[in-house]
Amino acid sequence: MKLRTLGLMAGIALSAMGMAVPTMAQTVIKVWSIDGANSPGIGDTLSAEFNEQNTDIQIEYRILPFDDIVNEALRAFATGNAPDIVSLDNPDFALFSSRGAFLDITDRVAASEIIKTENYFEGPLNSVMWDGKLYGVPKYTDTIGLFYNKDLFEKAGIAEPPKTWAELVDTAAKLTDPSTNTYGITFSARAGEEGTFQFLPWIQMAGGSYENVNVPGAVEALEYWKAMVDSKSASQDVLSLGQWDSTGTFNSGNAAMAVSGPWELDRMSEDAKFDWGVALLPTQTEGGPRSSALGGFNYGIFANSKNPDDAFKVLEFFISQDERLFPDFSSLPARNDIALPETGVALKDAALKVFQEQLQYAQPRGPHPEWQKISKAIYDAMQATLTGQMSAKDALDQAQATIQGIVG
Amino acid sequence: MTRSYVPWLLLLLALVLAAIYLFPLYWMYVTSLKTGSEIFANPPSFWPAEPNLEIYPSTWARRTMGTFLWNSVVIASGVTAFTVILGTGCAYVLARYRSVWIDIGLFAILMLQVLPASVMITPLFVGFNQVGLLNSPRFAVVLAAAAKSMPFFVVLVRATFMSVPRELEEAALVDGNSRVGAFFSIVLPLARNGILVCAILTFMSSFGEYIYSKSIIQDTALQPASVGLSGFLGPNSTDWNSIMAYSAIYVTPILAVFVLLQRRIVSGLTSRALK
Amino acid sequence: MSRIFNSMRDGKGFDLILVGAAMVFLLALAGLPLVYNVVMSFQQVDMFTLGSLVRPFAGFANYVAVVQQPEFWLVTKNTLIFVFASMAGQFIIGFALALFFAQNFPGASTIRGLFLVSWVMPGLVVGGIWSFILAGDYGVLNAILKGLGLTQATIFWKSDPNFSLWAVVIANIWLGLAFNMLLLSVGLAAIPRDLYEAAELDGANAFQRFWTITLPMMRSTIGAVLSLGLIGTLQQFDLFPALTEGGPANTSNVAGYWAWQMSFQLYDFAKGATISVMMFVLVLFASVVYVRSTRHEVRG
Repeated sequence: MKLRTLGLMAGIALSAMGMAVPTMAQTVIKVWSIDGANSPGIGDTLSAEFNEQNTDIQIEYRILPFDDIVNEALRAFATGNAPDIVSLDNPDFALFSSRGAFLDITDRVAASEIIKTENYFEGPLNSVMWDGKLYGVPKYTDTIGLFYNKDLFEKAGIAEPPKTWAELVDTAAKLTDPSTNTYGITFSARAGEEGTFQFLPWIQMAGGSYENVNVPGAVEALEYWKAMVDSKSASQDVLSLGQWDSTGTFNSGNAAMAVSGPWELDRMSEDAKFDWGVALLPTQTEGGPRSSALGGFNYGIFANSKNPDDAFKVLEFFISQDERLFPDFSSLPARNDIALPETGVALKDAALKVFQEQLQYAQPRGPHPEWQKISKAIYDAMQATLTGQMSAKDALDQAQATIQGIVG
Repeated sequence: MTRSYVPWLLLLLALVLAAIYLFPLYWMYVTSLKTGSEIFANPPSFWPAEPNLEIYPSTWARRTMGTFLWNSVVIASGVTAFTVILGTGCAYVLARYRSVWIDIGLFAILMLQVLPASVMITPLFVGFNQVGLLNSPRFAVVLAAAAKSMPFFVVLVRATFMSVPRELEEAALVDGNSRVGAFFSIVLPLARNGILVCAILTFMSSFGEYIYSKSIIQDTALQPASVGLSGFLGPNSTDWNSIMAYSAIYVTPILAVFVLLQRRIVSGLTSRALK
Repeated sequence: MSRIFNSMRDGKGFDLILVGAAMVFLLALAGLPLVYNVVMSFQQVDMFTLGSLVRPFAGFANYVAVVQQPEFWLVTKNTLIFVFASMAGQFIIGFALALFFAQNFPGASTIRGLFLVSWVMPGLVVGGIWSFILAGDYGVLNAILKGLGLTQATIFWKSDPNFSLWAVVIANIWLGLAFNMLLLSVGLAAIPRDLYEAAELDGANAFQRFWTITLPMMRSTIGAVLSLGLIGTLQQFDLFPALTEGGPANTSNVAGYWAWQMSFQLYDFAKGATISVMMFVLVLFASVVYVRSTRHEVRG
């Protein structure tokens, strides 16, 4: 009896001592990102590791769905409930940085041992700049290229992936085989950011830009896209499929080519029961100017963070782990000073080299604070054309008028 | 006599109709058992090539579904409690009288539903923030969702009260009961079945509450299963067979309860006229 | 003082408390957000001023801007088609099923219970399932239609502008069927059997009995079903992001989803609020229908 009481008291005393330790001035840094929903991601894994290594700062991590993170962050910021750090898709970044919602970290980065601006690719770095100041740090990057099914190419007697737009349309037509439910090509022309992400590079290859979408080459590109849908070289469902589902039809052998990005590599290595490769996006004319889309996420610290110094420390920790981005999370660092190690999977390593080359031509969407409206003008024009409601020229002219009203 | 086969034909027809109606449910289970790329195969397979039952325990563990489902139960119970307590009395009064004011009351209850939840959430979030309710997020969601399910409950329960013979209540009043006494000892017991059934229906529909929870509840440990499900839906990583497995785990228990209770639900609502 | 207490226990006060509690609750949690949206529709809204109500006055500028959007009339037309077709489908099929299961045959009530499944399915899950069923190439609906020989061509339910709205309508009818059938079954059961027997003795055929007894007796139920159905249909949201995102080229976009897109995809909160206020008109109509229908109720 006595012993039990003693033991109980000792237990209480011990646990009281244990509790006394972490109460010393601990700050909590809130981090929001989309990572960790399906499999361990960058944000959740690194946050957990940080919490193990540190006692004075602890991260409170929250996962949000991709479609919600921007408006949740907006609403939280407007009501004073913003997290300290958020990671956003790069075209959404300017919405916050242009309004001073993110902390200007130009000086902090200049003094930092870990984050150095000269290490970053130009495109990703541009997407975190506003008015010459630095409002964030690129987290990782990606782009799109042309996946192709080598077995189907061989069967159709085609030696090489297409190099020009016209060749692409021809090749897609040759590879289409309704008797085996095979389309020549699949892409995503969805009514959303994914649609713009896939089509904008074509406008850029033709010498246009998001501010100037109705250049003659862009009209030509859109006509090619329409030709592929009309001739059933591409499924009409490209209008509603996202990139992941669209590429799923490539993996199952129902499409011979797919426009998509490096995030597919892990699933494709596992699911695709055929030999495949990646090529650069075809250009308007042979040897013509190249372009591609710039994807990827950025970190920003909210301007009303109560502990900006500690938040910056957390940010430095995240960036200090950039070497692991590719081996652990299959994401490409947005930096030129990190060499990607071989994975040992031959198809994947070959594909990666192509994506790294393609990345050199990747151009950011924006940065513009009203990017979402510009993007809607572009995918609306694309959809109006592909459904036959407007001609490519009229649709792009209308988009241009809308965009003109936004960019001034 | 001669037409004794007719009921069996009707049964057959009923089974065919049920099979058509339940097909989407079947498709959910089948899809969950397919591999990632078999889902996209053309033509689709009606039975998975290699059924992968492993997906269920792995989805359950990986997505911490136990916590999510528990939160769904907590939220749905709260919504039901609020709706029943506030809605029953309201429905009773709206059924008891016939006047312009009653019309206005009914009208207001419906009109207040004009906005979709997706548009209501911003003002609610701002309001909850001002009064500090964001610190007890599940309770805040319960309040918001109860306001959404109230009109349905009031309209249905009002219909139940309409079927309680007025004379019984008046007789109780003549016998010296107060209004409160008559309400609790005569009217409520008579309408009990209908109220119970409407409460069950409210519980089931709020089990899937999504829009409010997703914005108001920031702590993953407090979020309901619907929010957990939406976490799957990313642009570049939509893991469809896990989504379907998750959906199946999510709806199967409530479907099971429902199938067990459904005879009572339907008869609770439909038999009241026969008592 | 005691008079007030007495009235609470035994008079009008009791009624007022019961209604008042619910009304105060609804006004706070549904009324205030409504006011917030109406106010916002007359203001210039900046995304960083979401937290306060004091913002520059904009007059009717938002309303003009919404009407001038190129997709405005398309969305209006779609909204009307979506609401009308969904409700017609839900109501007619729901009514037919309710009548069917009111017949006497073995297992009737058990199987009827199965038809309530869509009631318990979260919209998010239903959207995901139908998205697979309605897919063009790998969708099972096309496979079934082809197997039955009903069509040769692949129908792109979600991507063909001629079908996209109907894809959402089909899924929505499935989703709303349970609700319609349940309420209508309740209404049917409330009709006294002897009315039918008397009519049968008078030589009325099945159709006449339906027309002269069933429909008039169910007027209040039908009113409730239709008005709640209209509100539910206008608020339908979960199916759109899962199926078409309003595309292709807005051919399946409706007011509710458009309002959400404006606010949360384009961050134009004022226009989003304006569209939702415009939807007010439709719900106003529904409420009038319902309140009128209660006039025909018979107190049991």
